[in-house]
Amino acid sequence: MFSLKNIAQSMLQPLLAIIAGLAVGAIAILIVGGSVGETYMEMWKGAFGSFYFLTNTLARATPIILIGLGVALAFRAGFFNMGSEGQLVLGALAAAVTVIYLPGPGWLRMIAGLLAGITAGGIWSAFAGWLDARFRLNLLIVTLLLNYIATLFTGYMAAYPLKDKTGSAAMAQTVMLDKAAWLPKLFQGMTLHAGFILAVAGTLLLYLFMKHTVKGYEISMLGGNPLFAGYGGVQRGKLMIASMFASGGFAGLAGAVEVLGTQYRFLDGALTSPGYAWSGIMATLLAGSNPLGTALAALLLAALQTGGMGMERNTDVPLEVSSIIQAALILFVSAKLTLSFIKRKKARSKNGSAV
Amino acid sequence: MDQLFDVSLFASALRMLAPILLAALGGAICARVGLFNVGLEGLMLVGAFAAIAGNYWTGSVAAGVLLAMICSVLFSLLLGYMSIHLKANVIVVGIALNFLALGLTTFALRAIFNVKGAYYDKNMKGLPKWDIPLIKDIPWLGDLLSGHSILIYISILIVIGLQFYLFKTVSGFRLLAAGENPTAARSLGIKVSRIQYGAVLMSGVLCGLAGAQLSLGNVTMFTEGMTDGRGFIALVATMLGQSNPLGVAAASLLFGFMESLSIRLQGFALPTHFTMMVPYVVTLIAMFFFKDKGYLQEARKSNESSR
Repeated sequence: MFSLKNIAQSMLQPLLAIIAGLAVGAIAILIVGGSVGETYMEMWKGAFGSFYFLTNTLARATPIILIGLGVALAFRAGFFNMGSEGQLVLGALAAAVTVIYLPGPGWLRMIAGLLAGITAGGIWSAFAGWLDARFRLNLLIVTLLLNYIATLFTGYMAAYPLKDKTGSAAMAQTVMLDKAAWLPKLFQGMTLHAGFILAVAGTLLLYLFMKHTVKGYEISMLGGNPLFAGYGGVQRGKLMIASMFASGGFAGLAGAVEVLGTQYRFLDGALTSPGYAWSGIMATLLAGSNPLGTALAALLLAALQTGGMGMERNTDVPLEVSSIIQAALILFVSAKLTLSFIKRKKARSKNGSAV
Repeated sequence: MDQLFDVSLFASALRMLAPILLAALGGAICARVGLFNVGLEGLMLVGAFAAIAGNYWTGSVAAGVLLAMICSVLFSLLLGYMSIHLKANVIVVGIALNFLALGLTTFALRAIFNVKGAYYDKNMKGLPKWDIPLIKDIPWLGDLLSGHSILIYISILIVIGLQFYLFKTVSGFRLLAAGENPTAARSLGIKVSRIQYGAVLMSGVLCGLAGAQLSLGNVTMFTEGMTDGRGFIALVATMLGQSNPLGVAAASLLFGFMESLSIRLQGFALPTHFTMMVPYVVTLIAMFFFKDKGYLQEARKSNESSR
């Protein structure tokens, strides 16, 4: 009974935020003179209307889920990892390079590519963690700076040393990967690829890890109360680097999965311009860093994005309504943090001044 | 080399400087009161759009700039309300506002001008250029310093004014106190949240000017997401300049120069990635030297835990 009430309470806030976000979107739709019901119907159809659209939405959700899980892990440990974008592109580039240059059978190169993506994203992220743990540089600022360095570096690699010179397209991209190393599609003719299974598995594993292992508990403890964690024998520096490695690893895996499952090459800007990294961070914020919730929130954001595209195809309402809804969602959710803050404050004053 | 480093390169560095500098000063004021304003990018974008819209409706550049400031201030008010009044995490609010600004401006581009991507009107007048009377006749210096949009000269005046305000006036000291140690400031009767609101609104004004310089000064058009990460560069300039107006101006000058150098290199079909990387690498290295700042520690404490 008690846990049921808890679940209902934790669901209530995100639901209210979703309703409020949709209301803001409705105002925007009315301003351009669209019909709210019809527009949202088109949006629903664009996201879930047919099997094709559904798999399309799931394919878009795949990198967002993986990035969101990584960010959630870092948030749980109390670190603001804003560097997902850099970790994502480095993971993607590492996966592409591995598959292009590694000899051997296709499946082996595919697995090596995925591992290379995890390693590249993880090391880049752990580097930021190390700078914080060793030199006390602010992690948030460092990860933000490393994003730009990583995107510019991968942009350079794709535009000069690794540029595809065989095709006629003058785009900054690597050569097409060997077909044997592609991640298999889950359904014939659909965009959904095996990366989605990895994302779902990652979600469940992270959930179980956080809930049922000692290390998972140590991470939550570090995030919840660093002083207490230190008193209990948790080594902040070591755990920080490890959890940042895992966090970046998820983002790197997201990049690798996109390269091996969707684009089949590293294309400069293909991962940064859809804003996967920021969507992943938003999903985490929306779900309060709960792994299962993060996956659901990622799905919601992906549905808003693909639904927005469907809406733009079939109505006069511009695509940007969906980004307005997404931003409004986050604003309302951050106000939720506030509500719980006020509640806590009240409880505190009731029990006398505990702090 | 002569072709690369000529006077027009330095003059264009000054043009690139103004938007970064204005936004970075806004960021610096916020940092001084303990708010890490990630929303500079969004504020600037709103300003850039409002400047074009105001100019389009009234046909007057001044009205465009005014509307840019008003809209940015309204947007920054939202940031202030959420983060000061509702105590939401200021970084989260900043991220959300950047998204909201990108969505809203692109949406409004469709709703008001009925175009997608960019709005351009060849009859629209940009910010007036000012030829400084005596200086413009000096051979090299004249080409460098004279003939820029007025906002560039204003931004330099703001740097000096802000430096004076922060470190030489009583109310400036109160502002610093509110950021350094809010509890102590409160115990002296300083209204900390009022000062924080003031700082956020001021950053709105400055970002509005920055946006106006971008859309009416450097060019006379609005493009989707035309700030293109300049708000984040401004944030980095704030950090590199240690939220000190003169330091911020020096950092912005470096970044403005790197930006114009990148544009120049692009003209020669040379890779620009590494010149564009310089601001971030320099800032990262600089962080090793300036890390023990009281207010940064404060900001760090309040931001370290994300929940």
